Amino acid sequence: MIKNKLDTKSLLMDYAIYVILTALVVIIAVISPKFLSINVAKDILMQSAVRIVVAMGCMFIIISGSADLSGGRMVGLAALIAASLAQTANASLKFWPNLPELPIFVPVLAAMLAGVCFGVFNGLVVSKLKVPAFLATLGTQMIIFGFSSLYFNMEPNSSQPLGSLLKGFRNLGGGSILGIPVIVIIALLVMLVVWILLTKTCLGKEIFAVGGNLEAARVSGINVFKIQLITYSIAGACYGLAGALEAARTSSATSAYGSGYELDAIASCIVGGCSVAGGVGTVGGVFAGVIIFNVLSYGLTFIGISPYWQNVVKGLIIIGAVALDVRKYAGKK
Amino acid sequence: MKKAIALVLVLVLALSLVACGAKAEEKEAVAGVCWYNFGDTFIANARSTLNNAAANGPVKVVDADSLNDVATQTSNMNNFYTQNVKYLVVNNINTNAIGEMIEQAKEKDVTLIFANTNSPTDEQFATYDKVYHVSSVATQSGTIMGEALVKYWNEHPEADRNGNGKLDYIMLLGIQGHYDTEVRASYSVQALTDAGIGTNCIMETICNYQRADAQNQVASILQSNMDDVEAVIACNDDMALGAIEALKAAGFFKGDDSFIPVVGVDATANGVEALKEGTMLCTALNNPVILGNSVYKLLTLLEEGKPLTQENVGIEGTTVEGHHIYINYVGITADNTEDAAY
Repeated sequence: MIKNKLDTKSLLMDYAIYVILTALVVIIAVISPKFLSINVAKDILMQSAVRIVVAMGCMFIIISGSADLSGGRMVGLAALIAASLAQTANASLKFWPNLPELPIFVPVLAAMLAGVCFGVFNGLVVSKLKVPAFLATLGTQMIIFGFSSLYFNMEPNSSQPLGSLLKGFRNLGGGSILGIPVIVIIALLVMLVVWILLTKTCLGKEIFAVGGNLEAARVSGINVFKIQLITYSIAGACYGLAGALEAARTSSATSAYGSGYELDAIASCIVGGCSVAGGVGTVGGVFAGVIIFNVLSYGLTFIGISPYWQNVVKGLIIIGAVALDVRKYAGKK
Repeated sequence: MKKAIALVLVLVLALSLVACGAKAEEKEAVAGVCWYNFGDTFIANARSTLNNAAANGPVKVVDADSLNDVATQTSNMNNFYTQNVKYLVVNNINTNAIGEMIEQAKEKDVTLIFANTNSPTDEQFATYDKVYHVSSVATQSGTIMGEALVKYWNEHPEADRNGNGKLDYIMLLGIQGHYDTEVRASYSVQALTDAGIGTNCIMETICNYQRADAQNQVASILQSNMDDVEAVIACNDDMALGAIEALKAAGFFKGDDSFIPVVGVDATANGVEALKEGTMLCTALNNPVILGNSVYKLLTLLEEGKPLTQENVGIEGTTVEGHHIYINYVGITADNTEDAAY
């Protein structure tokens, strides 16, 4: 009997995120039944897609027991790079005036490459210079924002929002295949790849091992330097892709893009069940973590509640999630 | 202990020397400029115009970025006072501290110019004779948006999509409490009311002048009020364009019968594109080049000791009144996009 009770409790704890998500949807739907529609679900998934890709990248770092504050600005820089390389030939204000129209994979890859470069930089600073990840990536965050602003302010653009993007590129954000938005398909593919990497490969096991217990991992022969470099690089690639998608979704880019996304991603990871201490985390949980925040911001606007309340509720959910995480952890010990 | 005392003494002496030096020094013709945010499109244009003008002018310009933060602006201003500038140009965001700012400038004997922000009151002007104000009249931008909607509403009876006889709109605000956004919002609605058109605000929401924010929020508002939305009033073009993206995604702008009037402010390159494309109805141009040139003209006149008059300023699109240089907004629609080229 007692055992049974405990099981229900731990079950509730393990699935708290899904319980909260369902409760949220039910409450909003009761206030405004129109909320339960395909279009709303599609909108929320489309708005979540970029955040999912950012959170997937961030998840690698959190699972490996590290932290990354540079993600949001990397999204911003990537969005600028992608948009500047994806303009139509006759754009009214062209970033690179003599650039021909490029195939759409070029801006996407360029954005991802920029992300990987800064990812490698983060990895080197953290593992070789031994700068605590929190501070190392805070530094990178500033460096990247500086570069973004410089790039954005280059002549002839001089800080004008980038526009006139190629139709094919914009379709990455706004188009759909068989009624499913392309951007959602991309996000799902990223999730699939991350899931395979984390659960089906040696690399995944090593990342969990490093995050679970760094010393034990080192002693058992795992190359911690390599793992850190790889996790930051994968994260960088994700941020780069997310930036390209954000530019495609909004058909524009400025240096303000991506601001604050890193904290949202970290919050989504933690709420989605990643342990702050590292070594724990699932793709499904992080997905739910992202969705919960987007349901919140979309849903509260939907029923006409001030955006300021969204922050209050968001904050409460984060605190609740971490409190739960700490208790789970204490229970294990 | 002795060492410590000696050190303190040396420091005190050194400081007093510096202090004396600062007092004796004659102020050079340097203007410190505090822009609210270098990343803002409009500011970036005004800033480059001002810096270019200063390259061959009598007053040197150094500028600083307030990063849209009141505390940073305050630090930047203090830094300029320490650098002993002769003029201080503030694209002020600390709009409740104008009195204190004038007091401080008076104390330091620095000419204070408020640029692209709300004006000090007449009482505040009276406290110090070296205060100036160069700005567009923000209310005009609201009126231009409102009047464009009035025209559209009167010419298109079908614009009343839900048939309630009122214009149901979504209002997209910039930053909370920001002066421009508040007057743009209130004067646009006022213009509709003045024309005898009843209005109903479906939702007023803050999008921080950002395109992505506007796109997300309008998508949500549309899903819950799909049949009622009859117009979107955005306090800048970026938000208007975000709203247009959301409207497109929800099936609007597919043909003549699915047009929703969206109005904005700034006439950015992308905004003008949207006017030409037929998605945006109207935008109000606040010409950053005129702002940058007007500020520099004022600095030149002050430096040369000439009075501030309409003739002396001589820049088209400006109106001089006392210590004010007003820059007039221009309404831009698909019919006069060439006026937006500057």
